[in-house]
Amino acid sequence: MALTYLANIGRYVPELIMCFTMVGLIMIEAAYSDKEKGSSKGYLFGFAYMGLFFSLVYLVQGLSKDPVTLFTGSVVIDSFSTLAKIVMVLGTAFVIYLSRQSKDIYEDMKSEFVIIAVGVLVGGMLLSSANNMLILYIGIETLSILSYVLASLKKNDTRSSEAGLKYVLYGGVSAGIMLFGISHIFGMTGTIQFTEIMQILPTLDAQKMAILLPSFLLFFVGIGYKISCVPFHMWTPDVYEGSPLPVTTFFAIVPKVAGIAVLTRVTMVFFGGEPTALQMTWVGTLSVVAALTMTVGNVSAIGQRSVKRMLAYSSISHAGVMIAAATVLKQTGATSILFYLITYMFMTIVAFFIVSIVQDKYGNDHFERFNGLMNKYPVMAICMAIVMFSLAGLPPLSGFVAKFNILAAILKEKYYVLAVILGLNSVVSLYYYLKIVRLMVFKPAESDEKIEGFGFVNQTFIAALCVPVVVLGVFWEKIILIADGAKIFIK
Amino acid sequence: MSGTSNLLNWILWMPIIGVLGILFIPRTKEGAIRVWSLINTVITLVLSLVLYAKFDTTVPGMQQAFSVKIPWISQFNINYYLGVDGISLPMIVLTSLLLAICILSSWTIKKQVKAYFALLLFLQSTVYGVFMALDFFLFYVYWEVMLIPMFFLIGVWGGENREYAAVKFFLYTFFGSILMLVGMVALYFVSGQTESSFDILALSGGHFTKEVVEIFGMAIPFAKLFFVALFIGFAIKVPVFPFHTWLPHAHVQAPTAISVILAGVLLKMGTYGFLRIAFPIFPEASVYFSDAIAWLGLINVIYGAFCAMAQTDVKKLVAYSSVSHMGFVMLGLAAMTVQGMNGAVLQMFNHGTSTAMMFLLIGILYERSHHRWIVRPDGSKGFGGLYTQLPVYSIIFIIAMFASMGLPGLSGFISEALIFLGIYERFTTITVIGVVGLLIGAAYLLWMFKRMFFGEVVEECKSYTDMNAREVFYMIPLCVAVIFFGIFPSPILNVMKASVGKLVSLLAQY
Repeated sequence: MALTYLANIGRYVPELIMCFTMVGLIMIEAAYSDKEKGSSKGYLFGFAYMGLFFSLVYLVQGLSKDPVTLFTGSVVIDSFSTLAKIVMVLGTAFVIYLSRQSKDIYEDMKSEFVIIAVGVLVGGMLLSSANNMLILYIGIETLSILSYVLASLKKNDTRSSEAGLKYVLYGGVSAGIMLFGISHIFGMTGTIQFTEIMQILPTLDAQKMAILLPSFLLFFVGIGYKISCVPFHMWTPDVYEGSPLPVTTFFAIVPKVAGIAVLTRVTMVFFGGEPTALQMTWVGTLSVVAALTMTVGNVSAIGQRSVKRMLAYSSISHAGVMIAAATVLKQTGATSILFYLITYMFMTIVAFFIVSIVQDKYGNDHFERFNGLMNKYPVMAICMAIVMFSLAGLPPLSGFVAKFNILAAILKEKYYVLAVILGLNSVVSLYYYLKIVRLMVFKPAESDEKIEGFGFVNQTFIAALCVPVVVLGVFWEKIILIADGAKIFIK
Repeated sequence: MSGTSNLLNWILWMPIIGVLGILFIPRTKEGAIRVWSLINTVITLVLSLVLYAKFDTTVPGMQQAFSVKIPWISQFNINYYLGVDGISLPMIVLTSLLLAICILSSWTIKKQVKAYFALLLFLQSTVYGVFMALDFFLFYVYWEVMLIPMFFLIGVWGGENREYAAVKFFLYTFFGSILMLVGMVALYFVSGQTESSFDILALSGGHFTKEVVEIFGMAIPFAKLFFVALFIGFAIKVPVFPFHTWLPHAHVQAPTAISVILAGVLLKMGTYGFLRIAFPIFPEASVYFSDAIAWLGLINVIYGAFCAMAQTDVKKLVAYSSVSHMGFVMLGLAAMTVQGMNGAVLQMFNHGTSTAMMFLLIGILYERSHHRWIVRPDGSKGFGGLYTQLPVYSIIFIIAMFASMGLPGLSGFISEALIFLGIYERFTTITVIGVVGLLIGAAYLLWMFKRMFFGEVVEECKSYTDMNAREVFYMIPLCVAVIFFGIFPSPILNVMKASVGKLVSLLAQY
């Protein structure tokens, strides 16, 4: 027993590396911060990258290994969670790079950002591996509490503080509701282990199920909040807009990936078996939530003036698309979600990166700031256009393939109405994505001033991130094979 | 065999080679960019003619000698699968011809020459893709990708209101394609009883007559539901009333060459979709809905013609006349008889050449006048007495106009006659009303001609120069086409006869 335990904990190394990285970062910061401000940054970023890199290497190695459970079954390391973690680690690495470039985070706060981001990442990794209600709760809270800090990172900016406060209040309430739901589930089933709950669920009689039903809905509140689905999305635009841009980017990736991953796992583990009243309620709820989330996100995005806010709303609608795939309750759904997450990460990073640099230049990110970008920085404008088209789901870009996979997963289950809603939402989303392309290409530039951020290095970096967006649109066989191999392990 | 097997690949990818070439030519060398594009399109045209020459007119359906099939995505059984039959061949040749002419007509483009020609060639490749793809997924990819160059071509080089037109065009067609996408994926899974695939040939033949879809507890026949989804997707492209509202905007705002491609080729993608996908895959539903299609076609004919009559902008007039003429194609398709279908495919080709002539001529006039008013908004005449001022132009205009009107001896007549022959028995009422559409067509074209070319010479028309050698040169092939095929249509009819016959016999079983 002890031996297998030791062998298995080897699979927990990526998380441990990130924990040590965080500790190391704090120590570096503590050791250097008293001297000249900012002198620690080089070491700090270097150390963070080293940690992320080693963690990534471990994760990639672990992708092909058999799934295991750890800590008496409360954490499960399977290829599904590993792939989700890879996306999160990559996303964090890109965001840290962005944070270094961005002027939106004050110079003396950059080290804090890196440390807290790594902390959030640990929470996200834990969340995507959760196999037990308590770990799920701890994961969500680790993720959330540090996120609250991130949101208000611009200390003397009222909007940033407001964002942080809003996030805390909403987050606290939803976590409380979720905890209430969890304890209710525990009261009914007598266990917090996913696998044990899974076995008990089909044996319940109608009366008990009727009692359990609301507790599952309460439980959903917490997750729904994290992935900002309707009707728990209200905080998102304000928090996204108030936070510094790299933080917004970070929120659009890591907590979202973790939330979607845990939602998929919970759905598959609890309701993957024979259809019961509970399962039908859950799937029904998810379908309605997915349809609403897509639609509300898209419709709200149309009227925005700030690109960041538009992207915030669009990220809500993308979450809706992924929730739609979660209703499938089968491996095809999980595969399509993973593929979506991978492509979504690249698209989001490129979009936010360009927005960030433009915002640093002009002080705001209103749509008009993008006027005539095509003439000034053609490579950047083309990258942005590619990403916008991809987010809208136009072939032959990866966003299309991702949507196609989800459509295929849904239609295989014959959810025609949901599929049509998903499709029509793509049309709506095209309208506002097109707006950016239109301004960049059709409108003359407001001024000829240079945008310093678009130096050679950054342009190359952004263009390189754009490559997967294009390549995965045509050659997606390999990635889908990997995602297909990433099964959810239930034990 | 081995010599021809890559012909389709060459035609499809030649314009992409052109695009890559353009990327290496410096922005300032505009002449080199034009010449390079021209050479590229001429090579493609020659390749298309080689394809035509090697085409075996006796074989119904896809020609084995040209087909290309390479596995692409094995999870979904998607292949890079190209093929050509008697329905797609005329479209491929038409595309090659019009694109070469468009490059010549775009010689006067001054704004961002490099991007313009690159996008034009890119557009050409995607159009070939639509006409060649035998895998539904591949078809869809090309169908969608085509929107991107088109969006930029209208939006950057178009007229005053270009942005609105470009966005409307993009959103409208994207909406249609999304419904098509849902239908396509659903089809894939329903086809799964034997082997799930997107292979258009394997899907066709009417396998899905018994499938039922449950939506909110109602059982709806699969074929009918998804025929409608595909129908809307294709109908928007045609455009069939009431999905036509994007077309006048797009046409009027687009630069000349793009209007030519739009009217000459892109509208045909819609009707081609019916012939290649909607009809063969859902023959039963097609027959079931054929009455509705015929009536919609009739509305197109009459409504388009009346709208054209009311226009004071000559380009808008021709744009609405396209709506009317594509209505004839829809009528021919709805007939589901050999003559009707033959007429429809022939009309697709002939409308491509004649309307291209019209748009090119309007473009030539616009370059001189910088307006297109027949009657200006203030009530004064926009043009007048052009006949005495621009004799060569007027003669070519007359040919184009009469071809478009369907005067016997010119190409439009034969196809329209075939269509009416084909539909008469099934839809007598529609035929009778449809013929009135021809009459209205003659009326608005002649009125337009009278107002623009006869009468008192408007003062500013006196300064216009007649067509130059380049302009005459690129009009010649089209003039020859409309006259030659008006007298002797069999070079096209022979090519498509067998393939159309095969489709009609499939439809006749239901």
